[in-house]
Amino acid sequence: METRYDDVHPYPYTSTQTQPFFSADSGLNLEMGKRKSRAKPPPKKRMDKLDTVFSCPFCNHGSSVECRIDMKNLIGEAVCGICQESFSMTITALTEPIDIYSEWIDECERVNTLEDDGA
Amino acid sequence: MEDLDEYDQQPMNEDMEPEEDEDADEEITQEDAWAVISAYFEEKGLVRQQLDSFDEFIQNTMQEIVDESADIEIRPESQHNPGHQSDFAETIYKISFGQIYLSKPMMTESDGETATLFPKAARLRNLTYSAPLYVDVTKRVIKKGHDGEEVTETQDFTKVFIGKVPIMLRSSYCTLYQNSEKDLTELGECPYDQGGYFIINGSEKVLIAQEKMSTNHVYVFKKRQPNKYAYVGEVRSMAESQNRPPSTMFVRMLSRTSAKGGSSGQYIRATLPYIRTEIPIIIVFRALGFVADKDILEHICYDFADTQMMELLRPSLEEAFVIQNQQVALDYIGKRGATVGVTKEKRIKYAKEILQKEMLPHVGVGEYCETKKAYYFGYIIHRLLLCALGRRAEDDRDHYGNKRLDLAGPLLGGLFRMLFRKLTRDVRSYVQKCVDNGKDVNLQFAIKAKTITSGLKYSLATGNWGQANAAGTRAGVSQVLNRLTYASTLSHLRRLNSPIGREGKLAKPRQLHNSQWGMMCPAETPEGQACGLVKNLALMVYITVGSAAYPILEFLEEWGTENFEEISPAVIPQATKIFVNGCWVGIHRDPDMLVKTLRRLRRRVDVNTEVGVVRDIRLKELRIYTDYGRCSRPLFIVEKQKLLIRKKDIHALQQRETPDEGGWHDLVSKGFIEYIDTEEEETTMISMTIHDLVQARINPEEAYSDTYTHCEIHPSLILGVCASIIPFPDHNQSPRNTYQSAMGKQAMGIYVTNYQFRMDTLAYVLYYPQKPLVTTRAMEHLHFRQLPAGIVNRFSSVHIGMRRKKMGTLVKEDFGRPDRSNTMGMRHGSYDKLDDDGLAPPGTRVSGEDVIIGKTTPIAQEEAQGQSARYTRRDHSISLRHSETGMVDQVLLTTNADGLRFVKVRVRSVRIPQIGDKFSSRHGQKGTVGMTYTQEDMPWTVEGITPDIIVNPHAIPSRMTIGQLIECIMGKVAAHMGKEGDATPFTDVTVDNISKALHKCGYQMRGFETMYNGHTGRRLPAMIFLGPTYYQRLKHMVDDKIHSRGRGPVQILTRQPAEGRSRDGGLRFGEMERDCMIAHGAAHFLKERLFDQSDAYRVHVCERCGLIAIANLKKNSFECRSCKNKTDIVQVHIPYACKLLFQELMSMAIAPRMLTKDIKQAKSQKKKGA
Repeated sequence: METRYDDVHPYPYTSTQTQPFFSADSGLNLEMGKRKSRAKPPPKKRMDKLDTVFSCPFCNHGSSVECRIDMKNLIGEAVCGICQESFSMTITALTEPIDIYSEWIDECERVNTLEDDGA
Repeated sequence: MEDLDEYDQQPMNEDMEPEEDEDADEEITQEDAWAVISAYFEEKGLVRQQLDSFDEFIQNTMQEIVDESADIEIRPESQHNPGHQSDFAETIYKISFGQIYLSKPMMTESDGETATLFPKAARLRNLTYSAPLYVDVTKRVIKKGHDGEEVTETQDFTKVFIGKVPIMLRSSYCTLYQNSEKDLTELGECPYDQGGYFIINGSEKVLIAQEKMSTNHVYVFKKRQPNKYAYVGEVRSMAESQNRPPSTMFVRMLSRTSAKGGSSGQYIRATLPYIRTEIPIIIVFRALGFVADKDILEHICYDFADTQMMELLRPSLEEAFVIQNQQVALDYIGKRGATVGVTKEKRIKYAKEILQKEMLPHVGVGEYCETKKAYYFGYIIHRLLLCALGRRAEDDRDHYGNKRLDLAGPLLGGLFRMLFRKLTRDVRSYVQKCVDNGKDVNLQFAIKAKTITSGLKYSLATGNWGQANAAGTRAGVSQVLNRLTYASTLSHLRRLNSPIGREGKLAKPRQLHNSQWGMMCPAETPEGQACGLVKNLALMVYITVGSAAYPILEFLEEWGTENFEEISPAVIPQATKIFVNGCWVGIHRDPDMLVKTLRRLRRRVDVNTEVGVVRDIRLKELRIYTDYGRCSRPLFIVEKQKLLIRKKDIHALQQRETPDEGGWHDLVSKGFIEYIDTEEEETTMISMTIHDLVQARINPEEAYSDTYTHCEIHPSLILGVCASIIPFPDHNQSPRNTYQSAMGKQAMGIYVTNYQFRMDTLAYVLYYPQKPLVTTRAMEHLHFRQLPAGIVNRFSSVHIGMRRKKMGTLVKEDFGRPDRSNTMGMRHGSYDKLDDDGLAPPGTRVSGEDVIIGKTTPIAQEEAQGQSARYTRRDHSISLRHSETGMVDQVLLTTNADGLRFVKVRVRSVRIPQIGDKFSSRHGQKGTVGMTYTQEDMPWTVEGITPDIIVNPHAIPSRMTIGQLIECIMGKVAAHMGKEGDATPFTDVTVDNISKALHKCGYQMRGFETMYNGHTGRRLPAMIFLGPTYYQRLKHMVDDKIHSRGRGPVQILTRQPAEGRSRDGGLRFGEMERDCMIAHGAAHFLKERLFDQSDAYRVHVCERCGLIAIANLKKNSFECRSCKNKTDIVQVHIPYACKLLFQELMSMAIAPRMLTKDIKQAKSQKKKGA
């Protein structure tokens, strides 16, 4: 902040800062072999993408459930690649994997509560 | 000069307005406008925006922040204690903060004595000018018994100290507030200093206003194709008094041809916070509870007859056809949220919460806001469609109405909010700990005042706005106040920064926008990277501080605004939509009346004068703004082509006895003048001059407008502080005014009147500053006459001297003359100038590396072990830089905030102008003195007058600074008449008028004079243009720059010459110079520059392995141990940097081998080996 007298260096002198002829942050890096002085700011956080692989409600594997969407027949199917459990439902144009999976979870929930009531 | 004055004071001739002959209160003149302007500056000064903003923070924001913090509620996490049962089922501790109290700035000495602090002391003693803040705290302990009864103990702590708040100078809590000029002088202050800055650790800090986009505003942009989207609507929504980053909503319309190809049309989708995909707009409506297509369309389109717009919505409706009720819609949104794999109920609840709390928070975050939100959401889509249909142009990001300025108040407010939260968080964790451990709760210990004190101080001292080493901090918000010259100080206090990346290639944000008229100075901006991003306020700008929206809402209610519950959407197309601070509050069927009433109330000050009323007739909208950070400026109100202010009002203004009665605020409250902000300005018709208005009345056919609503007070007020100093800026090429605006800040003068009492690190003072002969009217208010920065060249004498000050600061005790016998590390400079107290006394001539402050520290015994035993102390003296000379001017020995002694020494040196010193006129014409002559060698005129400066005429044609020439002849007239010339821009003064006046004085009318050669006495063949021109002496002087070096210090690492004059460094022989020498084929010269004169070095190389060998020159023994070679060793000359590189490479297991033999030889050796 303040200019101090004691930054006069004793011999031999050390130079702490050197000014590049072209400043590095001008985007140009015309000087050979000079590294950019500052790292670029981290790229802007993009919106998270919607999941397409899910954890299986049966075998609990983290990312084994994949969804197939058959637009021709309007059928969507979620299949676990590990335990081969599957679920299928009719779909619409707006259906995405997450919808099929969520539906499956709801279905499981429904069946579970039915069983509980039965028992 | 009479001619000139006639033009200025040109009365609006009565014969021009025959119908007003009998009217006693005639129209005012442009000259009268200056009386109004004087009244403005008399009341407001030049840093009003800073003071108003800070006062708002102190008086309202701080208490609001304390009030908005929720009570701290603590339940003990009781440890299970076997065999022990509490008397109560539950104990709850509640802590709430109440009234705050702020004292005047205080300072507690290290001995505990507390006294009022004055700015002078704060500056000199490196203290912080801050005032203690206290708050009432209530502690309640609620004990619930097992049987349900409750006992509450309440304990009040009044005025608990919670930290110190830095106080802005001359604000309402400053010790100097409303002090008279005499008092100020007695307190060691400059009466012309306007305050508006802080003193942090003795240094003056300004908060630079930060520009930002306004929130709660719908922007619609057209995307440049090819792009996935055709149009994007954008709202950055931020609820009032909410300290959260704004929640942005995008509503996007897809391009006709989607990338997938399968799309049937232009779907419209919206982003919701925390939802990971875009949601079709219809689904959002359904989730808000508007299920039927008709209901939804009513909220977007209002008018079902508008088939074009309805058609645009068709694809969206079709897309969302499969989702036909609220639950499904909510589930659809909920599924796309952050939680995956949860049950339907939870998903729906999550979606509901997002819609209520996160989507468009400025509309409302409470329950039952769905209707309002649906209307606002529909409005965004409506605006998007208007743009898509081409009925409305896309929004302008750079329009100044869409910008807000964060001044000291909001900046400190944000910081204080953050720190106060941190404080309450700390209190909570402390109390929790106490309660859990069963200790007594002492709030005095719980509240750590240091949080706020050092938090505010850190940001103000470093300019890093936000917590130290936390993300999202802005740098450079607080800057050291520039004290080079008075104008530079003023200009710095009115500066403004746009935090857009400097590297951005986009030119748009840098360009002068039409809406900046009268708000931002068109000339004053830096050149280079920050050009157009750093701006300066025009002279008469007011930045709103913000007022409550509540009175406006009440007024609207009273005057027949219908809110959404009362209306059916079908009436919207006929009515006008009412927005308050970007929030749609309702509709009104008679906007004409409403606007008239609102304006009338505002002109009577029944409604706050800073409220902006914008009636957009085309959009059928009435937008009312009460928020902070809008730029506004005062204008004369015009009704029926006549100013409301009359001559008699001007007379009353001029004849008032005290400045308190009448004055500016009176003109505003009488409704003669009102503040118009950038957005409202678009709805007004402003006449440029009073003369235009009169002409429009006389000659309605030729008038530009017959519906003037306002009149400029004076067009020259569009300029800022630095550009207002330029005479005739309207006659210069515009970049020249920009150059002068930058140079005016480097001019020397008297920067404050109390400079003798200050200990600045560096200051320049002109010995005999002169006031200019040619001035602008605005300069009067910049106190240029009182604190000038320049000299009139032509009549001034040769001895223009100046002073320069320099300060050395040093903390800690033990000053004294160091003794060579027991002091370690003493410098080679002279210690003779020191007195017994270790300081150079005032009046001592010091130069070179003389020591001016002697200081030693004792060496601790352990530390001294390696050293020679005779040393008991280490030298920490401070000496002058080797290039500096001067006289010790003043020595200050005092203590700082920690009670430690420290010294400031001021050294002065007189600088008489010499060859190489830099001067400039006020027209961006700078130059250095090329030669000085004695007076008898100079050419002279018949009158015997010799010039002070001879300017090369080639400086004029390409630079086109006609203003300088006009200044020169007007200066000549002014000097002869003994008056100041008026060079205000945009007036009726013409060169012809000035010339005629000059002719009357008996001179050649264009300023030419016959001159005689100073050496021979012969008449010069040509006539010379001669006259007085005001020149500025700039701070750049040869004595501070002169530098040469033969040999000298080198850097430790590379042994190349050091850099910079202060280190006696070398001059860089750079790449381009190198290229030049290569082109010339000057190989030996190149080698000399780059090697012999730089870091020449020699090493010994083993010829077998090519690596550096061990050499002992004393014993004349050479060896390469790895090769067991003692004979095949050669000496090579390489740069030290090269040797360093080789060794660094070797440290990384790379062997750089030096092949010392000729390649041929090497090859043959290789063959032999093979």
